[in-house]
Amino acid sequence: MKRTLGIGLAVVLLAGVVTAIVLGRGDGAAGLRTVRGVIGSEKLAFFADQRVKDVFARHGLVVEVDPAGSRQIATATDLEPYDFAFPSSAPAAEKIQRDRKAARTYAPFSSPMVVATFDPIVDLLAKAGVVKAGPGYRTFDVQAYLAIAATGTRWDQLPGNSFYPARKNLLVTTTDPRDSNSAAMYLAITSFVANGGVVSSPDAEAKVLPAVSRLFLEQGYTQSSTEGPFEDYLSAGMGKTPLVLAYEAQFVDRVVRGDSTVRPDMELLYPAPTVLSKHTLVPLREAGDRVGQLLQTDAELGRLAAAFGFRTADPKHFDDVVREKRLTVPRTIVDVVEPPAHETLERMLEAIAKQY
Amino acid sequence: MIRRLLPAAAVVALLAGCSDSPDPAKPVGDAEPGTLRVLAGSELADLQPILDEAARATGVSVKFSFTGTVEGAEKVASGAAEQGFDAVWFSSNRYLELVPDAQKRLGTPTKVMSSPVVLGLPAAKVRELGWDGRRVGWAEIAEAAGARKFTYGMTDPSASNSGFSALVGVAAALSGSGSALDAARIDAVAPQLKQFFSAQTLSAGSSGWLSEAYTRRARGEDPGAGVDGLINYESVLLSLPEPLTLVYPSDGVVTADYPLTLLTSASAEAREAHRKLSDHLRGADVQRRIVETTHRRPAVPQVQLGDRFAVKDLVELPFPGSQSAVDGLITTYFDQLRRPSRTLYVLDTSGSMQGDRIEGLRQALTGLTGADESLAGRFSRFHGREQVTLLPFSSTARPPLTYEVPQDDPRPVLDRIRSTATSLDAAGGTAIYSSLRGGYDVLRRQVDADPDRFTSIVLMTDGENTGSEGVTDFQLFHQALPRDLKGVPIFPVLFGESATAEMEQVAKMSGGKVFDARSRSLSSAFKEIRGYQ
Repeated sequence: MKRTLGIGLAVVLLAGVVTAIVLGRGDGAAGLRTVRGVIGSEKLAFFADQRVKDVFARHGLVVEVDPAGSRQIATATDLEPYDFAFPSSAPAAEKIQRDRKAARTYAPFSSPMVVATFDPIVDLLAKAGVVKAGPGYRTFDVQAYLAIAATGTRWDQLPGNSFYPARKNLLVTTTDPRDSNSAAMYLAITSFVANGGVVSSPDAEAKVLPAVSRLFLEQGYTQSSTEGPFEDYLSAGMGKTPLVLAYEAQFVDRVVRGDSTVRPDMELLYPAPTVLSKHTLVPLREAGDRVGQLLQTDAELGRLAAAFGFRTADPKHFDDVVREKRLTVPRTIVDVVEPPAHETLERMLEAIAKQY
Repeated sequence: MIRRLLPAAAVVALLAGCSDSPDPAKPVGDAEPGTLRVLAGSELADLQPILDEAARATGVSVKFSFTGTVEGAEKVASGAAEQGFDAVWFSSNRYLELVPDAQKRLGTPTKVMSSPVVLGLPAAKVRELGWDGRRVGWAEIAEAAGARKFTYGMTDPSASNSGFSALVGVAAALSGSGSALDAARIDAVAPQLKQFFSAQTLSAGSSGWLSEAYTRRARGEDPGAGVDGLINYESVLLSLPEPLTLVYPSDGVVTADYPLTLLTSASAEAREAHRKLSDHLRGADVQRRIVETTHRRPAVPQVQLGDRFAVKDLVELPFPGSQSAVDGLITTYFDQLRRPSRTLYVLDTSGSMQGDRIEGLRQALTGLTGADESLAGRFSRFHGREQVTLLPFSSTARPPLTYEVPQDDPRPVLDRIRSTATSLDAAGGTAIYSSLRGGYDVLRRQVDADPDRFTSIVLMTDGENTGSEGVTDFQLFHQALPRDLKGVPIFPVLFGESATAEMEQVAKMSGGKVFDARSRSLSSAFKEIRGYQ
């Protein structure tokens, strides 16, 4: 039953990336050292950007990347051909670091999980006690949300809701927990709250599973890539996707692009608590370590990563983008928790997958 | 059951390699640069003008081969689609993604446009129902349907996505639980669903034929009883010659989003073609052209929804999360929910049918008794509550054999049909029209006893009529029939040396449709007809 889209997608995209790189070499890139990495697909656009390639070239490197699902990188991908692995979450990186006995890791950028929604929905959920005024930004109270989800409340059953009387359950739209990193991050958040702390024992897993499983199962069909529901949010709007789980970077990237896909009535809520999708590079060979160092320290790469919506190790880069583009995102997010260990997270995901 | 298709497809591919005929696994040919070979739902045909422009602008042309929802999913899951196609393009990937073996073969999707499945009724009917100027929910719609305040046509959910979406939508909305359907929830709302489907008086295997038949009946060009409305894509309803008033259920709809999806097996050239075409199709100007030409909604937020879309923000109902829930819903629809069928098979067993042909007929009928274990085959078997009559003929008609398939435990009756089918033998002449006329005596008795059924006739013959009664005699007989029998559609199957013009005439006078089995098996034709019964 376990799906393998990540691997399939990787195979599809691999040739494209390789082709692009081979063509790119035509312009006198001789003498450069080629470094190969396998990365979470959210960062593909960053590595494919010419400005990013130019920075690496100035440091004598050509970085070839194959995209794959972060969970696949940790468990299924053959890492032998690669100089580094760059999954989108810390638990996946931990597992790789342990398996490969890597001496260190780099976490050059991150992005908090957010809930993207619309003004009228924010008002409704504020009345229902799910949206609260936070420290300078609005939060999505996960505890209150779990209480509503536990009773299978429909939108049309919210008191005083004449605006969005949808006959479907009040649920955040996520991706498929069988496929996607963002769904795993969502599980990290919701299991923390259901357990009253990070889940770290089989007892705790058993305790939270009923409550967190329904958050996925009751959605029914879910898409496998994080871009899918986020695009629906942007184009089909409130009727289809009133609440969507996303990476903050997805939203910021759209605003920075200025392609008018983000409309004035769209709003970000920060789950309280939330987790960071911590893009963590695990060097597998010396050449990969060099890429990690550059990402961590090179100011130009930092600026470029911020332009793609990522929060950078040096907060200045992201702050600059926020100021320049007048983004309404908080500088710091206070209520951040750690995801469970990789094995725990995987076991819970497997347990949910079995119930489909 | 899906995996079984793979060896079969491999055999087909091997056989094709030994002959000069085009490879059936590659209906649109080998891969070539600048061409995207696409396995698609037939409703994409209306995009041709846009794709012609795209070919001029991008150098990428699309070659379509059309198939149904479930059959398409089966082809992707078995790997057969990868033999001859670079991409798939259906109204939705939802069903495909629920089939694990299909899901893993899907690459990058590009959503190109969207259209919700809604109910269209004449303006006068909407007023009569008191639905003018206010939104109604599925429960109210189902209640009015149950009281037969209106009738409607809808496609077969196993053959066509619009019927499938409507079935999922109404079941999800009526279940009232607000979360995705599972077997228990489906059972709980079965009585209400049954009410809703009791007003469905027209079925079809494709959205296109459904709206044509609807229009012909409305204009009195078909003898069948008029149908008030249609459940179909918003885009189809907005394109009808006499537009209907669209009813957008307030509690939600199921929307087709048309993802042009690369297969993971596609070559580098095909991937590049897919990327170019996707970028082109999602450009703002092209999106506006798509809206103008096809009445579908744009897929990019930069293009505003125009006034043609009366309700802009639509609630999307949850879709089941597992294949078993969806398959269970379709099976329940056929065996319990919809109005039961009455099907009369008038079958040529003359001497010319000897050998492979009679064997093909035996297999085609046997397939419908559950021997065909493919997914599409399972949905097309004779359904619970169906009344099936076999009327074999040669120089004269043989005695008709009628079977009532029970709702629960249909196996024993299906086995009896199978043993009758396998014992059919070929000998004698071909008295087509006197036999067909005899079929109406059978129907008369059955209709009088139980009028509320989907009634239809399949006429299978492999050659010229040798009986004393000709098609003109039959036409006269048909004209004199009472209205209820005159409106029974005849589905002639072209086979062997069928008299094509006469068969067309028979289909037309009865509001039926001709199916061609000359270049494919009788089984596949019989299966396709199931969508219309």
